[in-house]
Amino acid sequence: MKLLEIKNVSKIYGDLKALDNVSLHVDKGEWVAIMGPSGSGKSTMMNIIGCMDKPTSGEVLLDGKDISKESGKALTEIRRDKIGLIFQQFHMVNYLTAVENIMVSQYYHSLPDEKEALDALERVGLRERAKHLPSQLSGGEQQRVCVARALINHPELILADEPTGNLDEANENIVLDLFRQLHREGTTLIVVTHDPEVAEAAQRTIVLEHGKVAREIINENFVE
Amino acid sequence: MSKRKMFLRMITASLLRRRSRMLIALLSIAVGAAILSGLVTIYYDVPRQMSAQFRNYGANMLLLPAGESSMTRESAENALQSLPADALIGATPYRYMRMDMVSRQLSFTTAGTDFEQVMKTSPYFHIEGSLPENDREVLLGKAVADQLGMRVGRSMELTWQAGAQTTADHAGGAEGNPEQDRQPGATLTGSAEGWQNALIYVTVTLDDEAKIKTIAVDASLQTEEFGGRTATDETFLAQFIGKSLPLTLNEAGDESGIENNSTAGSESSSESASASGIDALSGATVSSGAVVRAINEARAVQAGSAPVESKRTFTVTGILDTGGEEEDYIFMSLKDLEDMTGEPGRLDVMELSVQAASTEDLQKIADDINAGATAVTARLVKRVTRSETTVLGKLQSLVYLVTVVVLLLTMISVSTTMMAVVTERRREIGLRKALGASDNSIRTEFLGEGLFLGLLGGLLGGLLGFVFAQVISVNVFGSPITLQPLLLPATIAVSMIIAAVSCLLPIRSAVAVDPALVLKGE
Repeated sequence: MKLLEIKNVSKIYGDLKALDNVSLHVDKGEWVAIMGPSGSGKSTMMNIIGCMDKPTSGEVLLDGKDISKESGKALTEIRRDKIGLIFQQFHMVNYLTAVENIMVSQYYHSLPDEKEALDALERVGLRERAKHLPSQLSGGEQQRVCVARALINHPELILADEPTGNLDEANENIVLDLFRQLHREGTTLIVVTHDPEVAEAAQRTIVLEHGKVAREIINENFVE
Repeated sequence: MSKRKMFLRMITASLLRRRSRMLIALLSIAVGAAILSGLVTIYYDVPRQMSAQFRNYGANMLLLPAGESSMTRESAENALQSLPADALIGATPYRYMRMDMVSRQLSFTTAGTDFEQVMKTSPYFHIEGSLPENDREVLLGKAVADQLGMRVGRSMELTWQAGAQTTADHAGGAEGNPEQDRQPGATLTGSAEGWQNALIYVTVTLDDEAKIKTIAVDASLQTEEFGGRTATDETFLAQFIGKSLPLTLNEAGDESGIENNSTAGSESSSESASASGIDALSGATVSSGAVVRAINEARAVQAGSAPVESKRTFTVTGILDTGGEEEDYIFMSLKDLEDMTGEPGRLDVMELSVQAASTEDLQKIADDINAGATAVTARLVKRVTRSETTVLGKLQSLVYLVTVVVLLLTMISVSTTMMAVVTERRREIGLRKALGASDNSIRTEFLGEGLFLGLLGGLLGGLLGFVFAQVISVNVFGSPITLQPLLLPATIAVSMIIAAVSCLLPIRSAVAVDPALVLKGE
């Protein structure tokens, strides 16, 4: 079943069409990559899917519900409840520890729960770094904490924007392994990237060019 | 961990992260709070301090007779019973009479008072010389002293007259003749022209043998250094005692007179001399002769008639300089005035210097006195209380003004700092929003930080303010302030409000952050 359906969505900034009548879908439990160069509209798409922006026209159906015309406040709630975000630049609160950073996500969602947060850290292999500040963690470690953070509220969809863009190869592999793990558990993953190798880790890649869907690539070599 | 605990953890960790910047904001609040609480403390304490200062300007309350023209000292003192303990700084009684200085044909308002109290109710009295301590001493107002050419140490005679008696009555006009009046036990008064035709007055009393028992000379119209001594020279006056009238004057050239009278020398001359001869005071022959003539012409004081006037000679111990109406008065002890005029125990006014925290409190004291007393009325000296009120009013306006300015400056400082902080934290704000923070959450978090700063700053400032107020109070007023217990909580509350208001614009800016823009990877 379709978790996410984008129907004829356009995003226009004055004369610029960041997205031009784009349609795509993502099934529940699917791992999809959205690929494209700079200016292809993938960031805009990411923001719309992540409920941080609204399309100028078209429909965005998340779990069957059209979110394209919701208020900012409502979008925040939807994002909070259904989507886990992972960013290229990690984005952690730099004065809180690793476990506390995860608890911030819990805080806005429902209630902070240290035990749950620690378990999440355990999952990404960083339990012993729980009390460290971001400045005391390597790039890879920070991103793994962010993965843990994205998962903590059991979102329906994990949306990752260039999750390995700032990582070295070794860490990239660690993170991709985590994603594989999540996928095996049934998590729906949308990874926005310009890196073909990262795209190839996914089941399917949607290529955007100049605000339009250029093509879709099914990854036949996908390993479960 | 509960949500509240997490919230507190987030705001404290955030404040600590930006320690130096938050310290600036904290100090701004603390300084504002210190000045605010310091000034407010002084504001509430100043009336008390100023009251004490204003007591230097003199009496602030008067006790006046209610209805009648004068009141008894007793009723005035009874009225004072209703004053709160320690409130009375001084109470000075005054009774006024018109007295004459006959020699100069001038009359003056004379005040009988209690010199020990005077400086308490009139601390501004500036006295050349000193206050009278004994009877027969006076304090002259400067205008009086200048008019009379009086100096400290000189004597003057004051006469009080009841009715329309004038000195002219003395010179003859009575029936009979002087001889007839010389009876045992009689009191005779007479006058004669002395130096430059100025009169000398003499009063003598006669013993059982109709010889002179006592003598009193009023030579105030004579030149003080010469003829005036006839009134005071003991040796001269002693001659008169025991002599029978009429007297004769031994010429001053006869030096065997005074000096040799006491020796066992020339007996024949001393016999006649001692019987009725008086040696002139050297250098005061004319005045001495006048004394003798005055006695010889003296007439009896009418039996049964009370003295219609009394005279007394006073020494001037001090001259009063105030620039006010006191300079037109002569001040003597109440006892002297009462002895001269009769009617002891009556007063025209009692001046009070009362310590009170405010004019309202002072009025209440006056009202209490009036409620309890029927013979006296208490009134505030508006000139003094009004100046006090005016000065206080101006001081309070100043306090308001400075407080407002200081609070504005604090707000600007805190606001600027918070604005900078919000700008720095845009990424963090975007992240929180991406994680699901609502606008209200963002508001609450920043407000929480602001209020926390306000709390700390208010606490610090409140304590500093107390120290600041103490320093000013001790240096300006010379006494410490009393602590207001509610002030610290109030200061903290105001600081928190100020901090919150200062955060309004920064918070608005924070809420406006667009997570999409801020979190963009490229």
